[in-house]
Amino acid sequence: MEKIFLKTDLGKSIEEYEFSGLKNALRMGPQNVINKIKESGLRGRGGAGFPTGIKWETVYSIKNDTKFVICNADEGEPGTFKDRFLLENLPFKVLEGIIISGYATGSNYGYIYIRGEYVESIKIIKRLIEKLYEKNVLGKNILDSGFSFDLKLVRGAGAYVCGDETSLINSIEGDRGKSRIKPPLPVFEGLYGQPTVVNNVETLAAAAEIMKYDNNPYKEMGTERSRGTKLVSISGDVKKPGVYEVEFGSLTIKEIINDLAGGVQGEKLGFVIPGGISTEVLTEEEVNVSYTYENLQEMGSNIGSGGMIVVSAERNYLEIAKNVSDFFRDETCGTCFPCREGNKNISKIVSDIYKRGYPTSKEIEIISDIKYAVSSAARCGFGESSLNLILSLFDKFYNKKVKV
Amino acid sequence: MKVKINNREYEFDKEMSILDAVKSAHIKIPTLCYSEKLEPFGSCRLCSVEIKGERTLKPSCVTKITDGMEIYTHSDRVRKTRKTIMELIIASHGIDCNLNCLTCSKSGSCEIKEVAEEIGVTEVRVPPISNGLSKDESSYSIVREPQKCIVCNRCVRKCSEVQSVNILTIANRGPDTYVTTFMDKGMGNVDCTNCGQCILECPTGALHEVYHMERVWDAISDEDKFVIVQTAPAVRVAIAEEFGGEPGKIATKQMVAGLRLLGFDKVFDTNFSADLTIMEEANEFLERFKDNGKLPLFTSCSPGWIKFLEHNYPEFIDNLSTCKSPQQMFGAVAKTYYANKLGIPREKMVVVSVMPCTAKKYERVRPEMKGDVDYVLTTRELAKMFKLAGIDLLNLQEEEYDEPLGISSGAAAIFGATGGVMEAALRTAYEVITGKELENLNFESVRGIEGIKEATVAIDGINVKVAVANGLGNARRVLEMIKKGEKEYHFVEFMACPGGCIGGGGQPIPTNNETLNKRMQAIYEVDSSLPIRKSHENPAIKVLYEEFLGEPLSEKSHELLHTSYVARS
Repeated sequence: MEKIFLKTDLGKSIEEYEFSGLKNALRMGPQNVINKIKESGLRGRGGAGFPTGIKWETVYSIKNDTKFVICNADEGEPGTFKDRFLLENLPFKVLEGIIISGYATGSNYGYIYIRGEYVESIKIIKRLIEKLYEKNVLGKNILDSGFSFDLKLVRGAGAYVCGDETSLINSIEGDRGKSRIKPPLPVFEGLYGQPTVVNNVETLAAAAEIMKYDNNPYKEMGTERSRGTKLVSISGDVKKPGVYEVEFGSLTIKEIINDLAGGVQGEKLGFVIPGGISTEVLTEEEVNVSYTYENLQEMGSNIGSGGMIVVSAERNYLEIAKNVSDFFRDETCGTCFPCREGNKNISKIVSDIYKRGYPTSKEIEIISDIKYAVSSAARCGFGESSLNLILSLFDKFYNKKVKV
Repeated sequence: MKVKINNREYEFDKEMSILDAVKSAHIKIPTLCYSEKLEPFGSCRLCSVEIKGERTLKPSCVTKITDGMEIYTHSDRVRKTRKTIMELIIASHGIDCNLNCLTCSKSGSCEIKEVAEEIGVTEVRVPPISNGLSKDESSYSIVREPQKCIVCNRCVRKCSEVQSVNILTIANRGPDTYVTTFMDKGMGNVDCTNCGQCILECPTGALHEVYHMERVWDAISDEDKFVIVQTAPAVRVAIAEEFGGEPGKIATKQMVAGLRLLGFDKVFDTNFSADLTIMEEANEFLERFKDNGKLPLFTSCSPGWIKFLEHNYPEFIDNLSTCKSPQQMFGAVAKTYYANKLGIPREKMVVVSVMPCTAKKYERVRPEMKGDVDYVLTTRELAKMFKLAGIDLLNLQEEEYDEPLGISSGAAAIFGATGGVMEAALRTAYEVITGKELENLNFESVRGIEGIKEATVAIDGINVKVAVANGLGNARRVLEMIKKGEKEYHFVEFMACPGGCIGGGGQPIPTNNETLNKRMQAIYEVDSSLPIRKSHENPAIKVLYEEFLGEPLSEKSHELLHTSYVARS
């Protein structure tokens, strides 16, 4: 099977890029586009993994004059940089995906919300949006299809929680970046109270790629429940950090590290954070697992955003726990009590543990109770998953005393 | 809709929140950020319940019931989760030796203490974390102690949703999230109306009034001072609550006895000057009506409302009655007429008010009428003073107010409830204009807890259109309607607090809909039980005009009893 992302579009001019995915879509009509995406088995690549076609179909089926499409490019998960790769290397494909999503859902307005620190990405996308307007790929009556679509770039102000779709919507509206109560889901009442589909950069790029073909090669890739490919951004203690495209089920995590990323930098592998810092760690004994949604779930972890962080055995796991807990403490939106207070307290406790070099059983008990409460009752996905990594670290390394 | 709650089946005929459904099954779910008067917010998550088939717990305040839903309100997972969240709340609530429960403004009415008890927290395993924020003492009326704030947003939402004043907001993110005023300027330097509704809403001691208790103790113990006290109408139907009495228990005469025991030289009644207010205001209305003056006339008793108008609708300043509020009129009369009568120099006289209101603390320092009143105690503060003096209020022998500033009518008593000022004014206006006696003194159409009330009253063949608004959000609505020309009135009563003074920011906590209704009922009971029910029939008022003021709106009246306003926008 061919990889789909790493071979196309790099450096192409607007004349050279054919927008064949968009053209196909415009020819097929929204329902057929949705059917094709559903058939491909594409799942949201932001971390939650919800089937994209079903999301699109829900918005498409709502009768409403105004609907919105939002491309979530607020990539902020430490260790995750695949969206940036796409924005800077395949910007055509990303924008094409957004327009297709608008067409399929019956939305005439789109936003691309890019993380503020991605200065280069913003520059590229901004320039390209202008060009697409010039070439009538955006605007009224796109490519003489009768479909009109306007796209606006919004620069994030620097809040990780805005990666949560409801926080992101609040942010676009000019409110504080804090999560909303669900229901209503954004597909029913999103931006300015209108039906809104929020998709990740990678999801949209994949959708554009899928629409390029008359047949549906994407659905032949991967496994039954994990179709297609996934961009994995690998960082940490590896010899060749970077973005790699992996077909689901074709490699184990161990193989990804060794065959793609050049192996562990250091004596030996300590553990792997497989999908960004909201996911549970896998120890050296656990990395022989095939890279699919289902296999990682079986191991009690997750594909997440695909941000794989490799940690060598020489490192102090408590230092990582401290960094991660400080990060979540600072980045919770602060609206719901469990997440705000839970992350604040965990960060203090973990900091104490780090200074001492090992946790007490009492501390472990508190950490696991707080994790239980926060993941049960937090208001959004940020809170729900914020303590996954910390607890898994203590679960797996509790008895290991660390030299300070 | 069939719903199972803790394995029992219930049937509901309409869509509602799980919280309401469960409540109707007589099961109590703990809440903290929830308030009956506010939109559900879903932030504390203490009301979370388990729903069969759902991966996570759902907050019952913002989740609707659906047919066939199976709800578990106190399952293992729910109990364990609530307990941990509560521990975290307590840990961030700034309780150390200086800020502990014993010295807290809410020591007797602490909501988080109650909730912690319901949840069964027996220990707090996480270390306390202080936010390090300092006290906000910039206001004449309200103090903020951010270290006790748990950021439940209730004050912010009350100020915005109910009062439409919007002076409080949330700043920052994550652990640094805190409640503050615009640009951190402090309550005294923003468009705060001092209504104190935020205090009533706060489940902790993060908000309370500026205390005048110590200053009043000092005055009482100063032998050189002649200290008199006036009590507002709404205090008498609420103070008993602080001593375990039912809301609405009328404790007027015990309160008078208690005030004497505290050591006040004379115990008087703001109701006296409420009658005086009616004399002036009803005549002001008649004058404007006859001479094509500025109408509609707006009442001026509520200082929160006055400041709201000065900030937000200065174009309506000429519509305000120039009458001082009863509190200020009392001070003005006491320090002139009464002081002269006794031969006491004005400087030796100290006037203390007991008010259901926090804005009165601000009103007393307004430059336009500074010096009329020296100190203002809220109902809550008076209760604290009684307790400190060991006064067992509800078992005291009943005593009468002193004369003459303690004599009043039923019309004055109803000032305590929304619509009361209007009703009192109509009773007098009607009889003054027509020269006939009113057959029915009760103007039912302006009574009740509703936010905006309207009535048309035929006086001498003329249809007088009146309206009554309580709560500043409703005040804004009425003003907007007048502005757009959608409504035309002759006379409008505005009260800053929902329910009027009975729901004032200085009243006992909790002040919820149930207590409001009971206090209101009691107010009308006080009225109907009095022999005199019209302000112009108050004999002490008649004597005051004969001996001192001349007639309503006289030069003397204008000098002492009327005031002016400033545009603050």
